[in-house]
This record gives sequence, C-alpha cells and structure tokens, in this order.
Amino acid sequence: MPDIAIKADGLTRRFGKFTAVDHISFEIPYGCIFGYLGANGAGKSTTIKMLCGILAPSEGTGMVAGYDINRDTEKIKESIGYVSQKFSLYGDLNVTENLSFYGQIYGLGREQLDKRMEEVLELTGLGKFRTRLASQLSGGMKQKLAIANGILHQPKILFLDEPTSGIDPLSRRAIWALLFKLAGEGTALFITTHYMEEAERCHTIAFISAGRVLKIGKPVEFKQIAPTLEEAFAVLDSQGAANA
Amino acid sequence: MRNTMAVARKELIHIFRDRRTLALVILMPLMQVMIYGFAINTDVKHLRTYVYDQDRTYLSRRLLAAFEQSEYFTIVKRSDDAATLYQALDKGKAQVAIVIPPRFTADVLKHKPTAQVQMLIDGTDSTPANVAMNSSQAIVSSFMQQEGLVPVTVSPIDFRPRLWYNPDLKSTYFMLPGLIAMTLFFIVPMITASAIVREKEEGNIEQLLVTPIKPHELILGKILPYIGVGIVIAVSIVVAMYLIFSVPIRGNLVTLFFMTLLYLVVCLGIGLWASTVADNQRQASQIIMFFAMPSVLLSGFIFPRETMPWGVYHLGYLLPMTYFLKIVRGIILKGNGFFDLLDQVIPLVVMAAAVILFSIKRFGKRMD
Repeated sequence: MPDIAIKADGLTRRFGKFTAVDHISFEIPYGCIFGYLGANGAGKSTTIKMLCGILAPSEGTGMVAGYDINRDTEKIKESIGYVSQKFSLYGDLNVTENLSFYGQIYGLGREQLDKRMEEVLELTGLGKFRTRLASQLSGGMKQKLAIANGILHQPKILFLDEPTSGIDPLSRRAIWALLFKLAGEGTALFITTHYMEEAERCHTIAFISAGRVLKIGKPVEFKQIAPTLEEAFAVLDSQGAANA
Repeated sequence: MRNTMAVARKELIHIFRDRRTLALVILMPLMQVMIYGFAINTDVKHLRTYVYDQDRTYLSRRLLAAFEQSEYFTIVKRSDDAATLYQALDKGKAQVAIVIPPRFTADVLKHKPTAQVQMLIDGTDSTPANVAMNSSQAIVSSFMQQEGLVPVTVSPIDFRPRLWYNPDLKSTYFMLPGLIAMTLFFIVPMITASAIVREKEEGNIEQLLVTPIKPHELILGKILPYIGVGIVIAVSIVVAMYLIFSVPIRGNLVTLFFMTLLYLVVCLGIGLWASTVADNQRQASQIIMFFAMPSVLLSGFIFPRETMPWGVYHLGYLLPMTYFLKIVRGIILKGNGFFDLLDQVIPLVVMAAAVILFSIKRFGKRMD
C-alpha cells in the first residue's frame, strides 16, 4: 500500500459559470489528520464529494486509497468511511440496527459484523445504548454513532464533514480522542471544522477560500504569519483576495 | 442481492415501527370493504311509497300488494287525501306515490273507459327513479295477466333475457372486486413514494451515496417490502368480500394473485416515479392524488365508461386501473382465465415495464 492516502491534483469543479473548487492540489499520507478549513461556501463540501466519488470533477485528477476518482468511484466507496455534518443515519432504527444495516451494505459477514459492532460500540462508548433509537440519542452520541458507523468496515481513510459542530465540549474532547486513536492506528482523516482549537490539533491544515488553497502546512507554520490561527487566516484571506 | 435484502430488512423495520401507517394500511382496506359493501349500495329496493287508495276494493288492494311483493316498493303510509302525497314527495318522505281513483275496479270490469292508476316518482335521483319506472311497468303488466284482465296472447317471439354472472344485479358483486384495484392504487404508490422520498428528506441518502450500494439495489430493496404490503391489502379485501359479503370467487386464485402482482408493479412504478419528482413526502402524496382521483372516476370503478364522451372514454385507456378492473371483475365474477384477459394484461405489462424503466433511469445515483 502506498503511503499516500489521498491525493488531489488540480481538482476543479464548476457549476455552470461558478467555480466551486479551483485547481486544488494536496497529498495526505496515512496516519495524518488533515484539517480542511475555510468559510461556508469556500468549497469544502464540494471537495469532499469529489474525493468520495459522488461528484465528478470538471477538471483535474485525484487518487483515494490508490483509486482514481474519475474512474474507480465504486472501489473508493468501499475503501472510505464518511461522517456527514448532518446526522444521516435512521432515526427510527436503534443503534445496532443502524450499524448492522450499514455493515451489511459494506459486505461484512455475520460473524465479522458482530465482532466489529462490539469493537466500535466499545470504542465510542455507545455500548449502553444498543437498543436506543438513534433519534433519541443526544447530539454528541449521535455523532459518535455516525463515527462508529463510518469506521465499522475498517476503512483506512475517513472523511468527516464538521463532525463536532453543535456538540458540547466534553463530547468534542471524546470525539477528538477517538480521532487521534484512529490516526495512531494509521487511518488518514480528512476533516473539516470551524473550530480553531480543533484546527490546531490537526497534523496538517489546508486553508481554502473561494475554491482555492491559500496555504497548506503544519499549524505552527500558520502561526508564523500571525499569533493565532484565526488571525493568520484573516491575513491569508486578504492576501488571496488581493492576488485574485 | 445481499444489499437488496439488507435494504428490504431495514425497510420492514421502518414499516413495523411506524404504527400509524401500519394501522392505516391494515384498517383502510377493511374500512373500504365495509363502506362499499354496506353503505354504498346502488341496489334500489324498498322505495318509500305513499298510497292514496280511493277505490278500496279487493282488486285495488291486490294491486298494491303486487307492488309490495316485488320488494321494490314499501308502502310506508296509506293516506286519505292527495295533498299529503304531494307534501311527502316535496319533503322527500316519499320517493313514490300511487294514486288509485274511486272508480278503478268498476272501470276495469267495464273496460270503458280504461281504468287509471297514477304513479308519481321523485326524479331528483335518477337511479331510484329509473328503477321505479321500469319495475312498476313490469309489475302492472304481470298483475293484469295474473288477474286475467287481458286475454292470453301467444307471442311470435319468445324473448327471454337472462343475466349472467350477477343475476340479482347485486352492487357488492360489482363494487367489491373493483375495490382491490382502487385501494391498491391509492395506498401502494403513496407509501412507496413516501418511503423513498423520506431517505432524501431526512438526509439518509447522503450517507447511502458514499456506500458501495448501487441504485437498483437500493430501489429494489425499498420496493420489495411494499409488494408484500400490497399483497396483504389485496388478500384482506378478497377474504373480507368472500366471508362478509359472500361474493363468489369463480376464477382461479393463482391467476388473480399473479395479475395482482403485475398491477402492483405498475403501482410501485408510479410511486417510484413520483419519488423522483417530489422533494418531500407531502409533494409525493399530492402527485399521487393527482393521478388517483381521475382513475377512480374514469376507470369504470363507479361510473360506466360507456356513458362517457368519446375523448374521456379513450382517456380511460391510459389508466392502469381501467385494465385491472376488468381483470379482477373478470376473474372473480366471470371466472376468466389468463387467456381471456390478454387484452388487459398486455397494456398492463407495457405500462409496468415503461414506468419502472423510466423511473430507474431518473433515479440517478450521482448527485450532479
């Protein structure tokens, strides 16, 4: 297996005349937490959709888990996990029913499914809530269930679209602890967030604005521009606007 | 296949967990059978009849008795003046009024002038009025023969009309089999469309899109349980009409089963199509109603298509219900076999194939 989990090369997506993602390039190795940051409408979700194989790029290429995002979208779907911003599991199904459904879709056999279900329930601390309907879980628990669901089939790449938005600080801590654990085990995590203190925990940050990558680097490199990440982004954003 | 079964299993959990819809699916067909079987009865019998018998003879009483014995007329009041009769008609207390003048018997016996009997009929509702007109003619002419008031004649033509399939012209025989067609058309597309649109509405589709499941596996898995629901509905109607209303089932139940399956595919296809057009469950149900209402009126479920203007009559050929009505009535009442019904089966097969192919094509998996 190559070291590079995700690679984007001049990835571009246009909707009519509007360019949502404009020639984006980056490489993400396995075991890396990659923070993808930017304002609402900067092109974060569009990038994720292209990398997950559910939106065809207008231009450019990319490799995810060694598969071409223009050709092998079905292979990519088998190799990645995805945690959406909005809870999108079934509210009227309970915790294990949700997991069991998605486990089957990912082709897990019965024994394997039972084993993995126990593992992810243990890992996310949802063991006590097996028979609770998903709609009756708290916001934090819902998100943990979504992550448990995302890693059920042991993908080596996990996409998380604002996984902690609207979640209480304690749950956020627990979720980040979980993410670090996954990264430690060699999973590549592609994560979007609005929280600066979360961004600082990422190994690598990409800051995008108006569909373009303004800077990619470690959090410390951003802090060389300005004392805090927030200020650094403001500086980059105004420079980017000046260049464009 | 494995994915399809996983979706189907999940869908069954949805169905059984949504008690309200489940109750609707089980109770609505039975309620319809009760309503159409008991309440909506187009057999006109026992018309409320007022009589004003001024003759009061043996013969006049025999004539009135003949009316009552026919069961079409029930004498609810014998009045002593004409005004009561007219008022009763005005107020709707009487549907029919019979007036026998004082010299009735005398005139009959003398043959001169011809004896007169008057019948007044409330014509506001055409069905009972027609029944009153036709049956009273028959009653009076057979009364005259029985009483020997007319000479026995030998007719050169022995004309004997006979009613087949439904000799008593019971409306339950006609309505209840049709109810299978109507109820399935109302419920099945609606719940199918809702089930699919719900995935979109509640964002579930966002998660499904990034899984390796293929669109046809998802669709098939979502649809399969509703075929089951449709079969449950159809069977409960057949059982109820057989047990409660003694509608005879003259044809082959296996043929009926497979024909119903074919019709269900069309219904599911319509639901599927509606789900590709609608953004939410409310829109989906509005789209279904848009097709369901004309189907009820134009397919021949209640109103005979033969009386419709040319354009409307031919519009009926576009409705799947038109064909399935002929199929269920044919199998249940006439005992038709598969080959008797080819003219109905072929259009339904074409419709099923067209609507399913078209919907699957529309149900693209890529979001762009």
